[in-house]
Amino acid sequence: MTARLTAGERLARLLSIIPWVSESDGVPIAEIERRFDYPREILLGDLQNVVFFVGVHPFTPDQLIEVTISDDKVWIKYADWFARPLKLSSLEAATLLTAARAALSIVGDDAPGTLVRALTKLGAMLGGEADQILDVGLGEAPIAILDGLRDAIDSGVCVDIDYYSYGRDVATRREVDPVRLFSDQGNWYLDAWCKLADEFRMFRVDRIRSTTTTSNPAHHNAVRSGPSFEPSDDDPRIELTLDHSARWVVEQYPCESVTESEDGRTVVVLAITEVPWIQRLLLRLGPAATMSAPEGSLPDDLVPEAARKVLALYGG
Amino acid sequence: MSSKLERLLNLTAALLDSAIPLTADQLQRRVGGYPEDPTARHRMFERDKVDIREMGVPLRVEPNPELDPPIDGYRIDRAEYVGSDIRFEPDELAALHLATSLVRLDGAEGGLVKLGVEFADDDSQIGRVPFDDRLATLVGAAAERRSVRFTYSGTERTVEPWRLSFAKGHWYMSGWDLRRDDQRLYRVDRIEGSASDIGEATHPVGDTADPRSLRGWELGDSDPIAAEVRIGPDQASWARHVFGEVSEAADGSVIARAEVRNIEAFRSAVLTFLDHAEVISPALLRDDIISWLEAQL
Repeated sequence: MTARLTAGERLARLLSIIPWVSESDGVPIAEIERRFDYPREILLGDLQNVVFFVGVHPFTPDQLIEVTISDDKVWIKYADWFARPLKLSSLEAATLLTAARAALSIVGDDAPGTLVRALTKLGAMLGGEADQILDVGLGEAPIAILDGLRDAIDSGVCVDIDYYSYGRDVATRREVDPVRLFSDQGNWYLDAWCKLADEFRMFRVDRIRSTTTTSNPAHHNAVRSGPSFEPSDDDPRIELTLDHSARWVVEQYPCESVTESEDGRTVVVLAITEVPWIQRLLLRLGPAATMSAPEGSLPDDLVPEAARKVLALYGG
Repeated sequence: MSSKLERLLNLTAALLDSAIPLTADQLQRRVGGYPEDPTARHRMFERDKVDIREMGVPLRVEPNPELDPPIDGYRIDRAEYVGSDIRFEPDELAALHLATSLVRLDGAEGGLVKLGVEFADDDSQIGRVPFDDRLATLVGAAAERRSVRFTYSGTERTVEPWRLSFAKGHWYMSGWDLRRDDQRLYRVDRIEGSASDIGEATHPVGDTADPRSLRGWELGDSDPIAAEVRIGPDQASWARHVFGEVSEAADGSVIARAEVRNIEAFRSAVLTFLDHAEVISPALLRDDIISWLEAQL
């Protein structure tokens, strides 16, 4: 939050701060500052120059709020109109409920009773039962793998992982220096320094087959930020023209552009970082997509080769 | 002239203080701080109303009974302002604080300052979940048992929301579709525009399908076909992600079972594994894959 607050943001805070402070016998300024994210100078100014003059008609001393500041503490009296805080709006309650349900899915069975109680109250505030109206799944990954990675991060050691690389269609065993676990768009990811590649990599946790904790101390703790998919300018770009039934490509792949062709089909541009994934995509799409690629950028028999490979399984 | 903050606080106090609705004119005189010029005065008052409503202040418009003829006035119902009697204990607030520091809700800006709980904004947050006002409307509707109207796939729907679920990167809403007279599952991000409240819900809440367990090939109208797929050892973990429960063979490969109602979706899922997955049975689905592949040679 920035040091500047709008009048509305200050009002929202004060409607909670005034009843809260009124209830107790002196509250440290620093605590208000921290809990309500209210920069000290602005807070002091608002208490002394604004709240002190708030009241109702005819604004005689008996109709005004009384504010006393002393020893870095504040007392508020005669704020009867603001004896109780303004309720949470349904947006605010729903937001908190979502965060709490998501947190519950992270901590799992170790959920503190306080979180469960808070959830129940949030549900009741919204007029329903928290566990009936909303649930949040952050991703499906084996608990044992998630736990193993969490333990390795907490104890600062490297871990061996068996990882299946979707893009390159190969499985490898590698030692990584795990930095952080996170969930994005419904999948769990591991941010780690990969000793095989000698750089930071992001791993999909559901593609880690097994983990073995090592005794090698971890040396990296900086978090690399940025998207997991970073094509370079040199990667070939292909154009796919999609039938309506293949529109899902737009949602599931990082398309660099999406346009509509004259006949109403969808045209997307994709950067090709690895051959197997485009092979696999084309194989799945079949006649629902037509590809055009710069000459020589991709092998000619891309799709037939993949089809032959899979057919071999079926004795073909 | 007093500051905007002071004026808004005084306006809220005046509204909470009065037992009867006060007209715009009465409020402006009691609160003070409004300009003399009638146009500027009106404009400022209108903006103030918007500001306090945005904060969640329940501002009611009702006729002032003391005036003849009655003129519409404004009032805050104290009980409505305070809401339920529910209050959070300090340890519950701490738990909520922890929750909001673990999870980032994309689209839900601003802190929950009313509770003294702040959204953290740093790299320690380990989960990201999209969130917006429309979702909040639907959550509210599910909680309060209301029905809503929205446009979906180009048609207007009237639905009683039952449950919102975030699964596999998307928000889903299950509920009762009043026009189709049946239970339905919607992708919230495919709702076009906003959802509007249209009244009380009347159908009892039924068992909702868990979108986390719904697979693409299960979404179809035909009778289910039981299928078995063998997936290689390196993809076992991923196979669990795609197919759910699997059984493991001695060599580390796994057998997944699927109830197929949509053959195209099943074929697509199997081919994602390239030559690491083979449909074992039934012959119908094996043949489907074979002929699909042969067409691409």
